Amino acid sequence: MSKLGNVVEAIEKYNKFVENEVKRARADKKFGQQMVDRWNEIKAKIPFGSAPTGLKLPRLALPEIDEAGDITRYLLGDGLPGEFPFLNGAYREMYLEPLQSPAIEIGAYEKNGHKGKSNGVAAGVSPANRAAAKNDPERPTRPPLQQAEEPTRLFSGLMLAEDTNERFHFLGAHQRSKRLSTAFDGPTLYGIDSDAPGILGKIGEGGVAVDTVEDMVRLYDGFDLGSPDFSASMTISGPAPIIMAMYIAAAKRRFGSNIVPKLRGTIQADIFKEVQAQNETIFPVEASLRFLTDMMEFTTREMPRWYPVSISGYHIGEAGSTPVQQAAYTLSNGFAYAEMMAARGIPVDEFGPRLSFFLDCGLDVEYIALTRVSRRIWAIGMRDAFGAGHKAQMFKVHTQTSGRSLVAAEFKNNLTRTAAELMLSYMNGTNSCHSNSADEPFTTPSEEWIRLAAHGQAILLDESGIFKHTMNMLSGSPGMKAVERAVEAAILEEFREIERLGGVMGAVENRYQRSQIQTAAHRYEQQIYDGTRPIIALNKYRNRDEEMPEFELARTPRAKQQLQVDRLKQFKKKNAAKAEKALAKLAAVAETGDNCFPALLEAAEVCSLGQITGRLQEVVGHFRPMV
Amino acid sequence: MAAPIRILTAVPICDGHDSAINTINLEFIRHGIEVVYLGYHRYAEDIVRAAIQEDVRAVGISSYNGGHVEFFVEVVKQLRKRGADDIAVFGGGGGTITHHDQQVMQKRGVDKIFFAGTSLTDMVDFVHERYGKAHKHTGRRGAPADMQLARKLTEIEDRYAGKKGRRPTSNVQRSTSKGGKNKSVGTRVIGFTGPGGAGKTTLIDELVLRLLQREAKSRIAILSHDPSVVGAGALLGDRATMINSQHDRVFMRSMATRGQAGGLSPATEDCLQLLAQSGFDYVIIETVGTGQEAMPFQSKLVDQTVLVMNPDYGARLQLQKIVMLDLADIIVVNKSDQDRARTAMSEIGRRVEQNGREQRVLATVAKRHRDAGVDQLCDLLTQPKTKTLKKGKRK
Repeated sequence: MSKLGNVVEAIEKYNKFVENEVKRARADKKFGQQMVDRWNEIKAKIPFGSAPTGLKLPRLALPEIDEAGDITRYLLGDGLPGEFPFLNGAYREMYLEPLQSPAIEIGAYEKNGHKGKSNGVAAGVSPANRAAAKNDPERPTRPPLQQAEEPTRLFSGLMLAEDTNERFHFLGAHQRSKRLSTAFDGPTLYGIDSDAPGILGKIGEGGVAVDTVEDMVRLYDGFDLGSPDFSASMTISGPAPIIMAMYIAAAKRRFGSNIVPKLRGTIQADIFKEVQAQNETIFPVEASLRFLTDMMEFTTREMPRWYPVSISGYHIGEAGSTPVQQAAYTLSNGFAYAEMMAARGIPVDEFGPRLSFFLDCGLDVEYIALTRVSRRIWAIGMRDAFGAGHKAQMFKVHTQTSGRSLVAAEFKNNLTRTAAELMLSYMNGTNSCHSNSADEPFTTPSEEWIRLAAHGQAILLDESGIFKHTMNMLSGSPGMKAVERAVEAAILEEFREIERLGGVMGAVENRYQRSQIQTAAHRYEQQIYDGTRPIIALNKYRNRDEEMPEFELARTPRAKQQLQVDRLKQFKKKNAAKAEKALAKLAAVAETGDNCFPALLEAAEVCSLGQITGRLQEVVGHFRPMV
Repeated sequence: MAAPIRILTAVPICDGHDSAINTINLEFIRHGIEVVYLGYHRYAEDIVRAAIQEDVRAVGISSYNGGHVEFFVEVVKQLRKRGADDIAVFGGGGGTITHHDQQVMQKRGVDKIFFAGTSLTDMVDFVHERYGKAHKHTGRRGAPADMQLARKLTEIEDRYAGKKGRRPTSNVQRSTSKGGKNKSVGTRVIGFTGPGGAGKTTLIDELVLRLLQREAKSRIAILSHDPSVVGAGALLGDRATMINSQHDRVFMRSMATRGQAGGLSPATEDCLQLLAQSGFDYVIIETVGTGQEAMPFQSKLVDQTVLVMNPDYGARLQLQKIVMLDLADIIVVNKSDQDRARTAMSEIGRRVEQNGREQRVLATVAKRHRDAGVDQLCDLLTQPKTKTLKKGKRK
């Protein structure tokens, strides 16, 4: 049995435990009275705030129940926001605006809670995950309201390192905090050098070209990488350990070795979702996972502020999975990473808080509660199957609205689609969120539509009163409960199937997730075709005369592509002797079972991405694509 | 009945967006089209080589990661350079390809670009209308050997499509027990079979890698089979997995079974005969996943047969029913890193002993880089022909 089997058991057991406690609260007068007392105590402690109209509202809304069994089911089965099993939120106050008078010291709602130190500004933690889908420069990302940092995540990646750098500086000109999110071009994502034959047109397309540590220096030039106001996010998985090594090498070059523990950011590095959906894998799965774990081991020990993996369902959802598949595969991938780290002897409370998630939010009804249920499953699984403490139980998630749900026909409708998805994302208590631009079906988003997308979030969180006055504002309706139950049962059923196939690895080898996703994608298209899935202006209320708008796209000029090739060649010439030595050492370590990351750090100083990839492939082989 | 349309689909280099093409492939095969799928992250050179060897009517490219103008045009250019002007290039990329791009691409020889919002039905109709008529070979005379061979294979396949169940008259010299020029000198024909999911394709690709590395000049032909969907087309997807076999010294042809049971196509024997006469050092033939009673290699052309098995075939009794265990020269237990592999090896060993022939049983892990078991298989298959390695007694 893999750990996933333990997780399924843990959840079944926990659900049974809750029901038993409910019965006990009803049968055992003393216990029942304790629960009622606790409930009353919690209620008494809830502070009040007021809306701009003067209306007084509690900052936490609770169901109107007063019977011991119901109270028990709520407190144990759902949990208060910020408390196990976190159905209603990873943090206490999430999107609430600060109280006008900070007179009330908000302590724990419960006296005996083993709840760690949550403070009043619960949402002030940096958002779990800022990795956004690739291909879209400057995506507007909206973390919670009380964020100590400005909300804008500056997503960019275009042409060469200096072009992206210029863009970063332009976007961040008026912000104190610099939170940069980086998209890489195709060759970089596949670990291929810009001077490789047959890829010239791809250089700097859809992201920035990075071949060497020198490019990495150019990319973040002028930013203080060790500042608490700076964080870098890198959307790359296949060659993530090599790119991570280059980032560290570049930081050392500019600031010296002491910079390493101060580095702050996220690297996507999610190999499982690559194999299951996104297809940017360059080594065989086992080898990829080994290099990833090598890197995670290093960052967990040496870089306490770094998130070494962003466990991503977004690409699974975008590849066409159902919402349940998305959550089930993402969670099971997460548990598999946790299992790998635990197998290296790293304590769960050290690596657990460094795992973060990234989900897709579309318009299907499951999204009413998908993230809520995911948070609950993660918490119970981590606590009861892995022995994790409070911080490692929390499912911290960045959500992005669905790109796939957007259509070209009468594309302005996409504003409404994205708005509805944002609403769903916040109802689910996402830690941060990215809203897509309405023009996405045609092009890399343009200024105008990016602005509207960002405003959509501000209107929802700042302008409207929906989320800023009261936690649980839209939680726990009978309909939502029904969805929660159905979704949880369906996710567990997926877990059982994966377990039957030998856990995540076994299922991957059987191409289980891939074929499930492909089948779902095909069904979705058929439903659009036969009309059982209405898409407005596409298969319903279609305007036959509509003309498609034409957008201007930024393309990388040939001269720039050539420049990248030329300077890479110079770098290789300059470092030829040292590179060969470093590569030989790296290959030797890779042949043994030892951690490759230290050798990778040395190689990153003098070797190109393609040189490193190539040498490692000689040792471990190439990824064999799964169809 | 006309022969099905054969097209090749792929996603360009540095691009892993295969969701659209997967859906489109499924729709194509549901509507009678045979799709050779090359996979994602593929070089123009590999697409062109495959298109020529497979002699497809058209190449469909799905691109979502930029650089499409250069890439599509490069494919057209290389096809023309190699004399395959008659293979059309079409494709799409959702909203990433603009109308202006399309104009440039079409001016430079791309046949058709589909934009965002095109229905699957429109694409299927397009392929049927545009590529439904028989290939008109416009390539210059004296086409390269690969292309001539590919076209002859198409002729053979098409003849069979016209006459279901009956063997058409053929120009290809038929194998006869008395010989004639059945085979080029030194050509070795190896047949691979076994149940679905045993890892035949990966094993063959790893074998090819070793042959290419060990023998600097050897040329290899692969005849690979995938099942046709009942009453429809077929997804011929082996090339996507066979990364080492996309090589200038490898000629690969993907065939659909077109309604024939038993793991091969009605045209296989004649195609095999042609390949055996074409001067390759090795001709490898792979069946579709087969059942217990299958005995696909009746052909006298096949020198050696390899049965690839999964360690979990069920209870030992099942082994008694697998006909190929009597016939195969080499039995490979692949995925031997699995728990059940030891048991499988000893059970199969005992089962094969009963035959009293010199059959070899090997354990491999084909997915493992530089696997020693695959090395051993390669040794066995390349050693000079001896009596024990020639075909055993078969009825």
